[in-house]
Amino acid sequence: MEGDGSDPEPPDAGEDSKSENGENAPIYCICRKPDINCFMIGCDNCNEWFHGDCIRITEKMAKAIREWYCRECREKDPKLEIRYRHKKSRERDSNERDGSEPRDEGGGRKRPAPDPDLQRRAGSGTGVGAMLARGSASPHKSSPQPLVATPSQHHQQQQQIKRSARMCGECEACRRTEDCGHCDFCRDMKKFGGPNKIRQKCRLRQCQLRARESYKYFPSSLSPVTPSESLPRPRRPLPTQQQPQPSQKPGRIREDEGAVASAAVKEPPEATATPEPLSDEDLPLDPDLYQDFCAGAFDDHGLPWMSDTEESPFLDPALRKRAVKVKHVKRREKKSEKKKEERYKRHRQKQKHKDKWKHPERADAKDPASLPQCLGPGCVRPAQPGSKYCSDDCGMKLAANRIYEILPQRIQQWQQSPCIAEEHGKKLLERIRREQQSARTRLQEMERRFHELEAIILRAKQQAVREDEESNEGDSDDTDLQIFCVSCGHPINPRVALRHMERCYAKYESQTSFGSMYPTRIEGATRLFCDVYNPQSKTYCKRLQVLCPEHSRDPKVPADEVCGCPLVRDVFELTGDFCRLPKRQCNRHYCWEKLRRAEVDLERVRVWYKLDELFEQERNVRTAMTNRAGLLALMLHQTIQHDPLTTDLRSSADR
Amino acid sequence: MAAKESGDARAESALSSANPSQQASEKPNYALKFTLVGHTEAVSSVKFSPNGEWLASSSADKVIIIWGAYDGKYEKTLYGHSLEISDVAWSSDSSRLVSASDDKTLKIWDVRSGKCLKTLKGHSNYVFCCNFNPPSNLIISGSFDETVKIWEVKTGKCLKTLSAHSDPVSAVHFNCSGSLIVSGSYDGVCRIWDAASGQCLKTLVDDDNPPVSFVKFSPNGKYILIATLDNTLKLWDYSRGRCLKTYTGHKNEKYCIFANFSVTGGKWIVSGSEDNLIYIWNLQTKEIVQKLQGHTDVVISAACHPTENIIASAALGNDKTIKLWRSNY
Repeated sequence: MEGDGSDPEPPDAGEDSKSENGENAPIYCICRKPDINCFMIGCDNCNEWFHGDCIRITEKMAKAIREWYCRECREKDPKLEIRYRHKKSRERDSNERDGSEPRDEGGGRKRPAPDPDLQRRAGSGTGVGAMLARGSASPHKSSPQPLVATPSQHHQQQQQIKRSARMCGECEACRRTEDCGHCDFCRDMKKFGGPNKIRQKCRLRQCQLRARESYKYFPSSLSPVTPSESLPRPRRPLPTQQQPQPSQKPGRIREDEGAVASAAVKEPPEATATPEPLSDEDLPLDPDLYQDFCAGAFDDHGLPWMSDTEESPFLDPALRKRAVKVKHVKRREKKSEKKKEERYKRHRQKQKHKDKWKHPERADAKDPASLPQCLGPGCVRPAQPGSKYCSDDCGMKLAANRIYEILPQRIQQWQQSPCIAEEHGKKLLERIRREQQSARTRLQEMERRFHELEAIILRAKQQAVREDEESNEGDSDDTDLQIFCVSCGHPINPRVALRHMERCYAKYESQTSFGSMYPTRIEGATRLFCDVYNPQSKTYCKRLQVLCPEHSRDPKVPADEVCGCPLVRDVFELTGDFCRLPKRQCNRHYCWEKLRRAEVDLERVRVWYKLDELFEQERNVRTAMTNRAGLLALMLHQTIQHDPLTTDLRSSADR
Repeated sequence: MAAKESGDARAESALSSANPSQQASEKPNYALKFTLVGHTEAVSSVKFSPNGEWLASSSADKVIIIWGAYDGKYEKTLYGHSLEISDVAWSSDSSRLVSASDDKTLKIWDVRSGKCLKTLKGHSNYVFCCNFNPPSNLIISGSFDETVKIWEVKTGKCLKTLSAHSDPVSAVHFNCSGSLIVSGSYDGVCRIWDAASGQCLKTLVDDDNPPVSFVKFSPNGKYILIATLDNTLKLWDYSRGRCLKTYTGHKNEKYCIFANFSVTGGKWIVSGSEDNLIYIWNLQTKEIVQKLQGHTDVVISAACHPTENIIASAALGNDKTIKLWRSNY
């Protein structure tokens, strides 16, 4: 793990040596002892750590120092000077921090951090900055200091740019006074109409030295930050032998830009994120920093820090040997793998989204010459950022040109050979039309029968009642036989069986509903469905109107009404005679009108259904035919004919 | 000609013994007739509809395109999947399609309206292959989650899950009566299952077990065609468990390339290949009778028309086209 980071420093810098001691512990300071349990200060040039006691610098003094170089370095290079922090900012810092450990350069130094790896990772020449960057999160606040201190900054605008844990006060970003208004952090601000969820300084105002790496912004026009500082956060880890999870796709994203816009590589959708085992530098060696992790302070910003609060044994990293630490990292890795995966994914998506947003802003910052030219025909203006055209018009013109150019060819290609599906469609339409014709004639037939029936019924009613003649027929039945009603199950006399069963059935049927949501709307149909609206179920009754037991009661039969049923011989032959019994007495032809009417109606309904079906089929075929060879279809697809003689692959073309 | 003589045995016998000498000397003369352009990514599978009118093609661009089989004209596109589609299959009445996709679902489509009728969810990894049974009331699917699932078309529910293999299942197929299922997988094993009970009836393993990339029943249901990733196609008599014929000469080491029986004219075995050609072997003599050239990438799928001597072939990402070839015999 060591030396895995992006630092270029040769391993021998800083007079470290491991092999001197039998213990293999690194040694420091001018005293060349491995003791790391006291206050130490690190040289920003050679990155060697010195005991405060040995060089006579107290912790308190160190608080005031911003950059410190050891004696040797200062002697070697006279340009290096110890820089002190401004008095005022020091005061304010200590006030605001309420007795918690100062987050300035003392913070990192105080910790027995002198892990040579850590030093190296900090990068050469940027020791202070990096340490600050890592070590200076305030455990009590989720946002870096400067935001809180902004009001004071306003006052000092002209005179002195304030310094704090997150602001060096000297870099380009610190000197900016106005928010850019375009970066994602600005757009989140209330004053730019944002929801104020992220709550960070403008990206262009994030101190280049001291701000969190992931908040910084590296447009090409601004002064570049050294790559070693831009530590990837979060990083997609590289797999090690211990990692059991194989990666399925070779392409992997390394977010080296540190959450900042540069080409965010598109991730293959099914690649599972293999989380990199944490290198030592990523570990929050600073316990205060770690507390931030625990508190999920960083999570507010959607950064996938590991806020594994269940991992407690991290509090005293200094006391652990490195080997143990590494193991612990791996263990932690495995547990949090999945969680991190999720967050990485989310972060990556957020990344991509952020990047998409950022590019337009960056393009703004560019000068027009660097924007690509609009693709519109004959247009020499630069394209809008994030688009290929300078305006909608150009885009439309290009699209129109494309259509003019490509479409005629395609239409010609299409017409080169007869479209077989089209032919089929036409044949189908023919067939459907024929069937519709036949269905219509049937319908007419039905209507005629309907009228006929009505006529018969009418005539039958006009017959006179002749009671005596046929009244004996019914008595020949054997009264000993008993039939059981199919609906209620009671035994009934066969003579009245028909009547009873009809009534019984109607009784039971009237208790159930049979309907649909739509009222019947058929032109030319006199009476088909009952169509009574049931407000509870919001349906219209779809029984035949003539025999709906629910919504129609049999009219009371007057005493003199004649049965009138046309009599038949041998079931089918009409005799021309009618039943003369009074309706009340006739047991054979009970409800004959109703049933006959229902018969006819049912036929009519069936014909209508058939017509409907045919109509549906026709509609389908017609839509298919109209949609064929549409503009999009022709533009997006083509069929290249290689053999001009063969337009139809069927061997016998008689289909 | 040979076509007429074997006309009656067309749909049934894969090993016709009618005039073998005459057939052996015949070669097909497939010639390129149409190129169908339209997919924007690699095409993964092409299938002719059982009624011979349509050609369905599935692709990595998440759509299925229906083309006219006889004129190659574009008909419609079916949208709905959210990830690449690996396979597509027709129902026996040519009115429905089922597609298997990397989004772990299968979709049943109504071809006429272009709508997705049902989405079958249940697999836990990419669904790789799918097929209808002859009555078309069941769908079978094989997936990277090493299982084979049987689904009911009407309800969209999974009826059975067969823990078939220990590696991704690369192909599943019903026999002509719908009573047996064959499944092949990267673990080198082919299994035959009883469709009704889900019992494994037989396991076919050869001396070596290279990953099986494709399996299919012959039209008469007696033989199984197995393609393996060692550039070999084998015809097995599965009831005896013996390999009868071996077809080589093509290149197949990486992709699951479809292979087919061509029974409309001469009896051939047709398969794509990774050297951008389509290979046609004489089924009996195992000779390569024709190699069709024209694609510029791996030919992943070659389908044979049910009634005419037409072959449709599809190629991967560098090519993205479908080609229709026709022969006189």
